[in-house]
Amino acid sequence: MNARRLGQDATVLAAAGADLQALGEIEAWARRAVVVPDGAVLVDTHVHLGRDRDGHVLPAAGLVADLDANGITAAVAFPADEPGAGGDFREANRRVIDAAAAYTGRIVPFCRADPSAAAERVIAEAHAAGARGLKLHPVAQRFRPESPECIAAVRAATDLRWPVLFHAGFGARPLGPAFAALIEAVPDCRLILAHGGRGDHRALAAATAGHPGVLFDTAVASLPDLVTLPPERIAFGSDRPYGDHAQALHLVGVSARVAGWDAAALAGVLGGNLLRWIGPVMP
Amino acid sequence: MSTADALRVVALAAQAEIALVRRDDVAGALLAQAARAADGMPAGAVLGEAARVLRAGPGREAVRQVALSLCRMGLHEAQADVLGGGA
Repeated sequence: MNARRLGQDATVLAAAGADLQALGEIEAWARRAVVVPDGAVLVDTHVHLGRDRDGHVLPAAGLVADLDANGITAAVAFPADEPGAGGDFREANRRVIDAAAAYTGRIVPFCRADPSAAAERVIAEAHAAGARGLKLHPVAQRFRPESPECIAAVRAATDLRWPVLFHAGFGARPLGPAFAALIEAVPDCRLILAHGGRGDHRALAAATAGHPGVLFDTAVASLPDLVTLPPERIAFGSDRPYGDHAQALHLVGVSARVAGWDAAALAGVLGGNLLRWIGPVMP
Repeated sequence: MSTADALRVVALAAQAEIALVRRDDVAGALLAQAARAADGMPAGAVLGEAARVLRAGPGREAVRQVALSLCRMGLHEAQADVLGGGA
């Protein structure tokens, strides 16, 4: 694995004329924004593995190198948007589960499904193979969170005591009423709303405030959204390969500074809040 | 620096972020403006480097990704200034 700067191949950056020393200094400064509390376990909630149809790529070896470089113990990883010929993500799920087996203790595999493509069967198969959660993307797979198909998928995941990570970032539709309806339909669900719910943060925060089973991840999130949430509802995430770990750590550090999180709150954001849901990294 | 100064950087960096996400050529100009607006502020160094790296390697995907990360760091530093939690 070649050296990297901000998640990118340093050789490629140098060839493009980037100043690697300056980038390295900024990367170190960004990591120092977080004063990691003693005993904190850093777990990245949000990583796409594989080759997305939009061209973004992250192999498992690259992810583990990134984790090592940034002092992160493990990452929740799920397939990129590569549903395969059947449109059901089964092959991509298998690759993520295999990657988790190859890098024991570093990758927590979530499966990905399209609610309109045999999701309940896909979830059952992934569970049997070792997956520990579900990722759904309403924009990429073009469904509504409150649709009967999505409710059925979330019900199936919840019956397995799985958390469900939802894309809740860029997109035009209002999200507050949609997730309120989903929670009403599956009251015992545990949802991780990605990107701090930046697609409709105020409405989402209000709609989910009374539901204990909601976390917001910090992956490419907006600072004003994070600092207005209780820290026990936040989980660190990077959105690799769309984001990078140094930037993701910097966002958490600045949020802690602005919101005044204490060490316990920060440790929760960096990994404790997620681990309370999924159990230890090594099951 | 005043809140207005920080807010100006927030606006420019937020526009640059979306331009970078959408691979819009206007990103370079917006980053250069954001870097000038942030001169002397905590966001200045990262926005300046974002503008420089994008100018050095326009059209390169790795460069776009690095510029995007730097832009987001600058945006968050400027937002922290607005919110009263600046470095």
